[in-house]
Amino acid sequence: MSQSLVNAIIAMREEDALKITKELIEQGTDPFEVLATCGTAMETIGDRFEKGEAFIPELILAGEMLKQITDFLKPLLGDGKQAGDALGTFVLGTVEGDIHDIAKDIVAFVLEINGFNVVDLGVDVPPAKFVETVKETGAKIVGLSGFLTMAYEPMKLTVEALKDAGLDDVKVIIGGGQVDDQIREYTGADAFGTDAMTAVKYAKQWN
Amino acid sequence: MTPNTKIIACATVIEEMLPLIPNEMSYEVLDFGLHRTPEKLKTALQEAIDRTKSDIHTLLLGYGLCSQAVVGLRANRFRLIIPKVDDCIAIFLGSDQAYQQQSRQVPGTYYLTKGWIEAGDGPFEEFDELVNRYGEDKARWLMGQILKNYTRLALINTGQYELARYQEYARKTAQRFNLKYEEIPGSTALVKKFIQGPWDNDFVVIQPGQTVSYLDFKTNRSNP
Ligand code: B12
Repeated sequence: MSQSLVNAIIAMREEDALKITKELIEQGTDPFEVLATCGTAMETIGDRFEKGEAFIPELILAGEMLKQITDFLKPLLGDGKQAGDALGTFVLGTVEGDIHDIAKDIVAFVLEINGFNVVDLGVDVPPAKFVETVKETGAKIVGLSGFLTMAYEPMKLTVEALKDAGLDDVKVIIGGGQVDDQIREYTGADAFGTDAMTAVKYAKQWN
Repeated sequence: MTPNTKIIACATVIEEMLPLIPNEMSYEVLDFGLHRTPEKLKTALQEAIDRTKSDIHTLLLGYGLCSQAVVGLRANRFRLIIPKVDDCIAIFLGSDQAYQQQSRQVPGTYYLTKGWIEAGDGPFEEFDELVNRYGEDKARWLMGQILKNYTRLALINTGQYELARYQEYARKTAQRFNLKYEEIPGSTALVKKFIQGPWDNDFVVIQPGQTVSYLDFKTNRSNP
């Protein structure tokens, strides 16, 4: 793993990070390894954010940097992403009435670099839109993000709407803000997660 | 009754309560910044509850569910009363229904009140700091990202205080960040009832020894 790449990302040195990435590839480093390095850097920034050493702007900057790096790496990864085929489709969105999207974007990014095909519906997404998208894509996993406590109600309505549409086999995971097992139970979701890796963990289990 | 009732409220909420609090009623204000970390807010609230004097019978918590920060709180010797709302914006607008109506009309709304502006804790106040750290261009781009789903900056007029300064601030801020400025009517109905009672279905009432739970906020709502 390239410590200099991790350092550049953590220090928000955008141009350096991209330059080091290119050098690594030129030297023959496996693009998947570079991708894993990016994941490590993102985790470190996440930890710093939790400790109050980094803030929302840093999360956004890091996200943008990582997007650029992955865009550069994508053509080198072949269409098979991680190991073999894409792991499956994951429908993700911030629920109706809520427009917090920084965390959702991170979750989308982390799912993608872990090999999932993510359909990101954006923010303020009504239950019917989730149902429609699941039907269209045949996705088996839905992720609902929400930061307002008011979002628990639309999360519940979305789970119900999926059931009403006969999509009982679709698994739902909720996340964002202060969700916990009590909220999971209230909404009827199958799981909850307080970080992006939990989304990956369950999505792999359910795949 | 009033001398046995005490208020513990967030710095933003107390602004709306102050003009209505009777002289004999004591109150304590907690830092607004706590809301950013719900766990710290929970600890601060429980500590404030625990140090409340024993002659108090009723403690009014000037908070909402606030990211579940109030869930798990308990008092052994007196009862707790909490407005049955998600957060303080519902308190300023007068009810949960009014809040949901506003949100449904314009989901991309950032709300302001005197308390929020005075606390200077929003995304707008951070802009100058961002310019310092990352330069004008990057700072603009970052603000664009943070506010990309926002269309409206709404100043809530609760009629409780002189608004001119805040109108000026809100209008300027909206202009600076390309948002539509609007003044929307607030209400003191909930705050009044909170201070004076009756503590009906608009409030969560926790008896001594009981613990606040999430479901307390979801059950027996007056107008679901
Ligand atoms: C940044 C922020 C904003 C930004 C949003 C920018 C944006 N584009 O998203 C701005 C400043 C614009 C904003 C606005 C508002 N906000 Co705000 N905001 C926050 C803040 C500070 C951080 C949230 C965040 O993005 N964190 C960064 C992420 C990356 O960190 P993280 O949570 O650890 O991320 C992980 C998990 O969330 C998880 N995850 C997320 N989604 C999912 C999904 C799945 C499936 C899984 C498994 C995991 C998962 O994975 C992430 C990555 O590991 C919180 C306070 C807090 N500390 O949470 C308040 C907070 C959420 N906001 C709050 C409020 C009240 C508002 C406003 C209503 C304020 C107002 N005056 O108008 C408006 C909202 C309007 C609306 N309709 O949505 C309240 C909510 C209270 C409540 N009712 O519950 C909070 C809690 C602050 C508070 N206590 O007052 N906000």
